[in-house]
Amino acid sequence: MGLILKLFSLSLALLVIACLPVRAHAVEVSLTSSTQYLWYQDFVADKNQNDIAQYLRLNVTRLDKEGKANIFMYGRASQQVTSDEGLRGRLYYLYFSYQDALNNHLDLRAGRTFVNSASVTGTIDGAYLEAKNLGPLGITGFGGREVLFQDKQEVGGGNAMSGTSVYLNLPLSTHIEVSYGNKYRNSDLARENVGLDYTTTPFEMFNTYGRVKYDTIAEKYNELLFGAKLVPFKDFVLKAEYLQTRPTFDNNSIYTIFNVDRYKEINAVIEYEITSAYRLNLKYAREYFGEDADANVYDIGLFARPVKDLTINASYEKRDGFSGQLSGFRVNAGYDINQAKIQAGIDYDDFTRQDSRGDTAKKYWAGAGYQFNKLIGLTARVEIDDNYRDSDSWQGFAAVNINY
Amino acid sequence: MPNKITIKTTLICTAFLLAIAGMAFAKTDHKEYKNSKLDDCKDCHNGAAIVGNHGGTREHRLLAERASNNCSDCHQQSFCLDCHNGGNLDTSLKKSLSRTGETMPATHRSDFISIHAIKAKDDPQNCYRCHEQRFCSDCHAKIPNRGGMRIKGHTPIGNTQVYFLTRSSSPVDNAIHAAEARRNLQSCEGCHPDATVCSACHNLTPGAKVFKR
Repeated sequence: MGLILKLFSLSLALLVIACLPVRAHAVEVSLTSSTQYLWYQDFVADKNQNDIAQYLRLNVTRLDKEGKANIFMYGRASQQVTSDEGLRGRLYYLYFSYQDALNNHLDLRAGRTFVNSASVTGTIDGAYLEAKNLGPLGITGFGGREVLFQDKQEVGGGNAMSGTSVYLNLPLSTHIEVSYGNKYRNSDLARENVGLDYTTTPFEMFNTYGRVKYDTIAEKYNELLFGAKLVPFKDFVLKAEYLQTRPTFDNNSIYTIFNVDRYKEINAVIEYEITSAYRLNLKYAREYFGEDADANVYDIGLFARPVKDLTINASYEKRDGFSGQLSGFRVNAGYDINQAKIQAGIDYDDFTRQDSRGDTAKKYWAGAGYQFNKLIGLTARVEIDDNYRDSDSWQGFAAVNINY
Repeated sequence: MPNKITIKTTLICTAFLLAIAGMAFAKTDHKEYKNSKLDDCKDCHNGAAIVGNHGGTREHRLLAERASNNCSDCHQQSFCLDCHNGGNLDTSLKKSLSRTGETMPATHRSDFISIHAIKAKDDPQNCYRCHEQRFCSDCHAKIPNRGGMRIKGHTPIGNTQVYFLTRSSSPVDNAIHAAEARRNLQSCEGCHPDATVCSACHNLTPGAKVFKR
């Protein structure tokens, strides 16, 4: 509840700041709001639930004459009306941003913001700095309290996260980055990673990229990813990837002393744009789970725009091997008519879980939106699921959207 | 007075740094292309550097997590969080709702509850990019004895979950249990964070790397 009050009082404060006539130039304020009524089935509570949710995104930009200082905010409050769950909320971000400071050499974000690096990623209450345009060199650093979201609200808290990256941007779209990141739980070092990222396009038709992530606590590599793309001729792309990941645990977890297997995957993809209205993609992945357990995954997809404003996506996936079998297709289509749009789709999966059950899972959905003017629009969606738990599980939402 | 080797090393390093500095690559500001259609991107991106939907799932992750990325030229952070943290400001029609009423990315196909036991195996680390480990126990711990909630590693001795293995379990069951635990240890932690169920048989001495019953 405190979070909700904080969220909206801060929004109000931002609006007041934005309206203060203390600047010679106009501060720009843009607001995006969506008020939603949702209905869905909670299979754990074994009942149908209804929520009311309010989304709000507020951008207060051009706080200074050059447009370098800005404030961004996004959050959601929701209330389940079919239970005594209470009001819940998430403040996704609220940060002050100052870009291109010190003669275009420094970017700064302060507040609640999403931060990223090859070694650690997440949302923090803290600060992010990037020293840039130092020749080809750049340095980033961030730190603060780690913010975790779950079950429609913020959970945990009191944990810290920090990281730093040093990167080089070079010709041939080459980017090389070394980063270090850590996370603390209850003042103890829980995670510590070192990451190396690279991408380069030595020839216009060839690109390669990769990541190496090393867990310094477990003293193991927890991610290896290497990929390559080849464009032998226009609109025809060949891709291949090798991925290896390893489960990781907090330093104080008893699970750190267990032996674990790595997951490995090799995949190949073909993408072909037949015409600007038709695209085709094929994918094959070979997955390895250790102890002679493996699986094959095949995927084929088609995008089509047979007439203007009508788009159709269709895909088929077949999976066979460890943990189960799956064979299913997805089809969806959308059509835009002036200020209106309609979309509908079907998912059908025939699956067999290993040592468990087999069945079909079907999903049918349709939705529509109508934009009355630049300011206001309506959206609604309905879905029915047919599966082993329920043959007519309904869900959907209706929303009033405002853009100001 | 510095010796010749020091001077030579300094000169070489300086020359190297100057050469690197001379190779500075200026990123293109994409803000003016913010409202372009994806097809228009190919006017410039017709090679292998960036194609299609920003390079697909895994390549997209590398691009987005990279320092100095230019995602914000076109996207706000809400664009990321609406997939990774259950938001739905843009009222996407393609996304289904989870059992808690939050939107799931469209990658969660059909009735994802039915098939998640299969799909979650396609790179197990993928789940943890959006979900905390306790996310699994939110369902599995609340209704552990419901037949449909059985977890494969628990099944060798029938239809209940009040056991793992016993001292009379067969070598085959032991092998299944060990292999499953090694592959899915993070999911074990979700329901058993303190591993007391493990310590019933294993000696959980800190630092130990090999377990024997």
